[in-house]
Amino acid sequence: MALDGIFDTTIRLLEKNLDLRAKNQNLISANLANAETPGYIPTTLSFEGELKEALKNRGDGSVLITNPRHIPLKGQAAGLDNVQGKLVETPDSSIGKDGNGVELENEMGKLAENQILYNATIQIVSKQFESLKTAIKGSI
Amino acid sequence: MDFFTSMDVSSSGMTAERTRMNLISSNIANANSTRTPEGGPYKRKDPVFAAVPATAGFNAVLDRNGNANLKKVEVTQIREDQSPPRLQYDPTHPDADAQGYVALPNVNVIEEMADMVSATRAYEANVTAAQAAKSMATKTLDLLR
Repeated sequence: MALDGIFDTTIRLLEKNLDLRAKNQNLISANLANAETPGYIPTTLSFEGELKEALKNRGDGSVLITNPRHIPLKGQAAGLDNVQGKLVETPDSSIGKDGNGVELENEMGKLAENQILYNATIQIVSKQFESLKTAIKGSI
Repeated sequence: MDFFTSMDVSSSGMTAERTRMNLISSNIANANSTRTPEGGPYKRKDPVFAAVPATAGFNAVLDRNGNANLKKVEVTQIREDQSPPRLQYDPTHPDADAQGYVALPNVNVIEEMADMVSATRAYEANVTAAQAAKSMATKTLDLLR
């Protein structure tokens, strides 16, 4: 990170968040496309906890991971760049006769939630850039 | 960030649901057809859906985006319902058998209508997912403004 001063952890966190939300979007649309496929079990990406852990384990004397190829120390959570999220299966509570576990309402809810949080993150990124611009200009 | 994969998956869902819708229309239209080129009454047709990997070939081998678990949907087969035909007593019908019974297609119009509603909803869900992906991609592009 050459520009550690300007592009700090916030940007990296937002960037990671966008990346994982985009992946989640792919999974949700796959679940919706397979809403009628026999034997299909929906999956979703769970990363919020992992992201929080990665953020917490910074600056408390633990070894910094500055390159994605660095191996984290034992007991230390992975760095922000290494957060990949975990695939979890989220089958419907009552799977029908054809073995399909997709619940359309549930998936639509997840789709909306994911989209809103993605758009929120985008907005924060753009505000972040705007305040940088203000700082560079020196006048409001 | 690959929103195109998401749109690709959604469009595979739309294609599958549209195929299903076409078959439902065909079933309803032929609910009373007693003659077919293969002989005998029309048989109800049903698509078979299967989940297949969304990325194939070189990209799948590299798996740069972690899409290995992503599945799109494909109609692998169109199945003919082998249940027995409906028999109706109508001795004057040209296709009636020796006992005066006509073999009508094994199509239940009410069942087809219910299936059609289900196909419409599933199609709409895919459209919404594609729209969501599109709006997310546009929002990302707006960062450049």
